[in-house]
Amino acid sequence: MKITGNIGFIRKNNVLSPLDLTGGELSFSVDQDETIQIYCLHLIGSLNIKVQLQKEGARCSLNCVYLSHQKTRKNLSFEVIHDEKQTSSEQIVRGILLDQSSMNFVGTIRIPSNSQKCVGTQNHRAVLLSDEASVSAIPELEIYADDVQCSHGSAVGPLDENALFYLQSRGIDKKHATQILLKAFLTDLMPNEIQTVIDEWMAEYV
Amino acid sequence: MAFLEIKNLHAGIGEKEIIKGLNLTIEKGEVHAIMGPNGSGKSTLSNIIAGHPAYTVYEGSILFKGKDLLSLSPDERANSGVFLAFQYPTELPGVGTALFLKTALNTKRKFLGEKELDAVQFMKRLKTRATALGITDEMLKRSVNVGFSGGEKKKIETFQMAFLEPDFCILDEMDSGLDIDALKVVSDGINVMREPHRSFLMITHYQRLLNYIRPDVVHIMVDGRIVRSGDMSLALYLEEKGYEDYR
Ligand SMILES: Nc1ncnc2c1ncn2[C@@H]1O[C@H](COP(=O)(O)OP(=O)(O)OP(=O)(O)O)[C@@H](O)[C@H]1O
Ligand SMILES: [Mg+2]
Repeated sequence: MKITGNIGFIRKNNVLSPLDLTGGELSFSVDQDETIQIYCLHLIGSLNIKVQLQKEGARCSLNCVYLSHQKTRKNLSFEVIHDEKQTSSEQIVRGILLDQSSMNFVGTIRIPSNSQKCVGTQNHRAVLLSDEASVSAIPELEIYADDVQCSHGSAVGPLDENALFYLQSRGIDKKHATQILLKAFLTDLMPNEIQTVIDEWMAEYV
Repeated sequence: MAFLEIKNLHAGIGEKEIIKGLNLTIEKGEVHAIMGPNGSGKSTLSNIIAGHPAYTVYEGSILFKGKDLLSLSPDERANSGVFLAFQYPTELPGVGTALFLKTALNTKRKFLGEKELDAVQFMKRLKTRATALGITDEMLKRSVNVGFSGGEKKKIETFQMAFLEPDFCILDEMDSGLDIDALKVVSDGINVMREPHRSFLMITHYQRLLNYIRPDVVHIMVDGRIVRSGDMSLALYLEEKGYEDYR
């Protein structure tokens, strides 16, 4: 496969449409009771996405899968600003790293003091398939309101040895077993258009 | 040539020796049972036969159908006919049971130079074996081993074995966690698989299982070695006296 750039989609009012990620910098503002969902497949370079939840009831969900191989170094930043009370946001990031690749993720959730009753969550998980690959995941939580719900979590590590062994003990070779577990790791995250590219990437590089 | 021949096996984790000079020979068509106190190394032995990467073999050999088993990867061992029904089956969230079994079966058929099954043939085989062991369609739709009760997991392991038709079956405490009816169902499922070309190694703590599945040989394993072998009467003796004489 030829990797030409990052791939993005946005769902707004239940309509899914492509998102051009070529510039690497995108910002959105979300209106009253509006919901946006952003999906990106991060394959190269830097990607910064900023969302302002401007009015009450605004919601956003930022989802990213990053796939890294060889010596690629990437930066991803998600920044959500809860300008108004009762807004909610979610950041979900999943990564797979091979070879000597590295990733630097910064996830910001900012809730100013008058934005009460907001919900902001962030979850990052990455699988390292090589000892030489590395990830840094930094949550930047700037929470000044007291009546809010915020959570963040990050887990980075190799595939579970027992899971791999279980599949192998049923006759599936290590490479195929790895692909099965990685596919399960990314299950139901991305729209089909992106999932197909993920499958292609895995078939070629893993 | 013996079907399985383990000679002077020393193995463990890192520096910690768990299997300490174990010898075991199983002939084609035989059913062997291993009993032994907790921590004596029974699961470790089964994991080593299946090729778990956490364990290191320091010394000794395992020949399976005359081939050096230790030089094969876990998947090559499986495709050569080894199957381990785990004491604690691993959960695989996101990996669907049916697709997993299809992949496993077709990989094995390819390995053996047989034709892969198409969707219809696969479903037929799946349904037949599942029904016999009381596995429902709903269970097959779930992720592998996720959200199953202890007993259900054991049933699923036995079902996988029936489905993949290995010729050397290691059953690690297949009876633990099974209710009385399930024990009967699972034992029946194993008994129908007893054939002249297939051998079994059953690990159990209870003689009860051996009433259902009659072993040809019973071994007692203590501290990484087989200390005594005999027939069914050995299991009856243990039931009464415990391991006191062998510690
Ligand atoms: N992965 C491991 N890491 C550390 N120690 C281990 C590991 N696997 C086994 N051991 C140790 O090796 C010894 C044998 O364990 P094993 O599970 O083989 O016993 P067992 O005979 O199957 O016991 P049980 O009847 O309780 O199932 C125990 O002392 C156990 O703690
Ligand atoms: Mg055990």
